[in-house]
Amino acid sequence: MALKDVKPTRSELINLKKKIKLSERGYNILKMKRDGLILEFFKVLEEAKGSRDAIGEKYARAQGIIAIANTVEGSIGVKAAAMSVREKPELTLKKKNIMGVVVPEIEATKVKKDLAERGYGVLGTSAVIDETASAFEELVDEIIRAAEIETTMKRLLNEIESTKRRVNALEFKVIPELKEASAFIKMRLDEMERDELVRLKKIKAKSKA
Amino acid sequence: MEIAVIGNSDFILGFRLAGVEMTIAAESDQKLAEAVTRVLNNNSVGILVLKGSDIERLPERIRTTLEESVQPTVITIGAAEGGVSMREKIKRAVGVDLWK
Repeated sequence: MALKDVKPTRSELINLKKKIKLSERGYNILKMKRDGLILEFFKVLEEAKGSRDAIGEKYARAQGIIAIANTVEGSIGVKAAAMSVREKPELTLKKKNIMGVVVPEIEATKVKKDLAERGYGVLGTSAVIDETASAFEELVDEIIRAAEIETTMKRLLNEIESTKRRVNALEFKVIPELKEASAFIKMRLDEMERDELVRLKKIKAKSKA
Repeated sequence: MEIAVIGNSDFILGFRLAGVEMTIAAESDQKLAEAVTRVLNNNSVGILVLKGSDIERLPERIRTTLEESVQPTVITIGAAEGGVSMREKIKRAVGVDLWK
């Protein structure tokens, strides 16, 4: 709002005062929201660090085991076993609300299976295959957990960023401009009042003379 | 919702063994980019697993989409690439480098 658009009237001043009050209230609430979001974010951050390390570790282990399986069974044997796995892990999504940010809660079923459920024959394959399968099942389990945490983090970060932008816009742009406008109106009104007073005095002096 | 894994045939083999059905083999750069775009447009995919070194082979545009994507959530395994983008995001949003 540029200064030249402001009409120096009393009603405009009242409107501006109302607007300033509203903006300040919004600013305080948004500031609280921002702080709350950052607090939540700190909680998730700790978990995220852990899960990333866990994935790396589990992946390295699974890679080692599958290399052994490839040597023992031959890559065709491992592939054959892999193709015959039937049960696939299923994900169900639930929604959780963190300070107005909708965050997924992923629940997985059938990630870890026992021997009979895997689908390849027990007789045709050696124990190395079983070990490989269970190592990768653990990896998938960890990935699912990490996915939940990471989505939560991304959404929280986006929300923090936009909230921060709004807080800053109010603090450094909207509120100062409104205050400036109201100061301008006050000054003009005072000036007009003094004008009026001087004019009345002049008229009085003239009528006496 | 499903898990999707994209990578070379060695990478996806283990995930097949764990029962992940949507494994897409992609050896060349072009195939990789195609597979990733297809999965990104597929609404039934909830989690996309990629190898860290494969991310670097993707075109810049797809890479940024991957970093921003919430559904599917992209998880990278191996190289620290995923951590770097997350670190940037944190720096931008909070203003402090909190990632370690």
